[in-house]
Amino acid sequence: MVVSKMNKDAQMRAAINQKLIETGERERLKELLRAKLIECGWKDQLKAHCKEVIKEKGLEHVTVDDLVAEITPKGRALVPDSVKKELLQRIRTFLAQHASL
Amino acid sequence: MKMEEMSLSGLDNSKLEAIAQEIYADLVEDSCLGFCFEVHRAVKCGYFFLDDTDPDSMKDFEIVDQPGLDIFGQVFNQWKSKECVCPNCSRSIAASRFAPHLEKCLGMGRNSSRIANRRIANSNNMNKSESDQEDNDDINDNDWSYGSEKKAKKRKSDKLWYLPFQNPNSPRRSKSLKHKNGELSNSDPFKYNNSTGISYETLGPDELRNLLTTQCGVISEHTKKMCTRSLRCPQHTDEQRRAVRIYFLGPSAILPEVESSLDNDSFDMTDSQALISRLQWDGSSDLSPSDSGSSKTSENQGWGLGTNSSESRKTKKKKSHLSLVGTASSLGSNKKKKPKPPAPPTPSIYDDIN
Repeated sequence: MVVSKMNKDAQMRAAINQKLIETGERERLKELLRAKLIECGWKDQLKAHCKEVIKEKGLEHVTVDDLVAEITPKGRALVPDSVKKELLQRIRTFLAQHASL
Repeated sequence: MKMEEMSLSGLDNSKLEAIAQEIYADLVEDSCLGFCFEVHRAVKCGYFFLDDTDPDSMKDFEIVDQPGLDIFGQVFNQWKSKECVCPNCSRSIAASRFAPHLEKCLGMGRNSSRIANRRIANSNNMNKSESDQEDNDDINDNDWSYGSEKKAKKRKSDKLWYLPFQNPNSPRRSKSLKHKNGELSNSDPFKYNNSTGISYETLGPDELRNLLTTQCGVISEHTKKMCTRSLRCPQHTDEQRRAVRIYFLGPSAILPEVESSLDNDSFDMTDSQALISRLQWDGSSDLSPSDSGSSKTSENQGWGLGTNSSESRKTKKKKSHLSLVGTASSLGSNKKKKPKPPAPPTPSIYDDIN
């Protein structure tokens, strides 16, 4: 019973993701987020952080994994609330449209 | 389709919210990952640190804000010493004077057309007026030289000083003295003061006579001095000149041109030689005008006697029916230049000098 419900959940998520990609909404959201983040200076802040990290590690020893591990939490935290709210709103309306179908 | 409907229909709001958060987190993570790739690539390609410079070089290229310096810290009036070479006349001209020079050199603008007009007028008047021409040439030279106005003024004053007598040190002057074999002692240039006129009270009768045959001699109302320009000086009229001569030399003293026209048949050899050289001067009038002009005046002085330009002009007006009879045959080829032969000196003046 539990397993079937978990399966159902996963199926549902997969279906929604499929829908997001199929309609091109995911790509639009991604582009919107990128623009908003550059606009509000998120990218510059993160770049400054990157520089510190890279100087710490040495230019030769930087790997993508290290960077992702260092940068992603910071990046998540630095997203401004307004951007986050706007994006969530877009996602909710998308979900509502497709739930009503 | 069937599956989708089934999945979405059974969702409540909290679940939808959770899914929305998940999608958002996904998107942010995507952006972060993209940024990480970007940075990593920049690091590995070596352009990550290109946009910022080290503080040392930042200090080197700081904007300078000091009086007298431009923003690069250089002295900004260095161009003052620069010189440009004129493409037209290939003189080198100070950069600040280059534009005005070029305007004149290429013959553009109001001023230079004036100069051009004057030059044309000069070439027309070449045979008529010597003193005018000399003055104009002086002005022209000043206009064409790129030197400052100071220079021009200086030159003018210089000219004023030696114009009446010629420069005693110039070769022409010495030549003309040689011509006279040292006979003309009473026209020593140093005897006169350097002002524009000569005070006639200090002159003896010989000097007076000599002066009046070579120079205008009209007495100025203001300075009470005699005009030292040539006989053709434009400031005074022929009437004034005649009056002065009558005043000094008596009513018998006529302006030399009358006498000269009577005398033309009695040319001697030296006279005609000098005449020929004179005509050669005229023929080579494409020499620089100032040269020929001053040389003519110096030669006039060299004759030191009755020859002067007003005379020659008068004779020209008379269509040379008298004065040119003697020369016409020997110098027939020079018909056009002929209006200007120096009239032979008056005998009375010869007597005075000798």
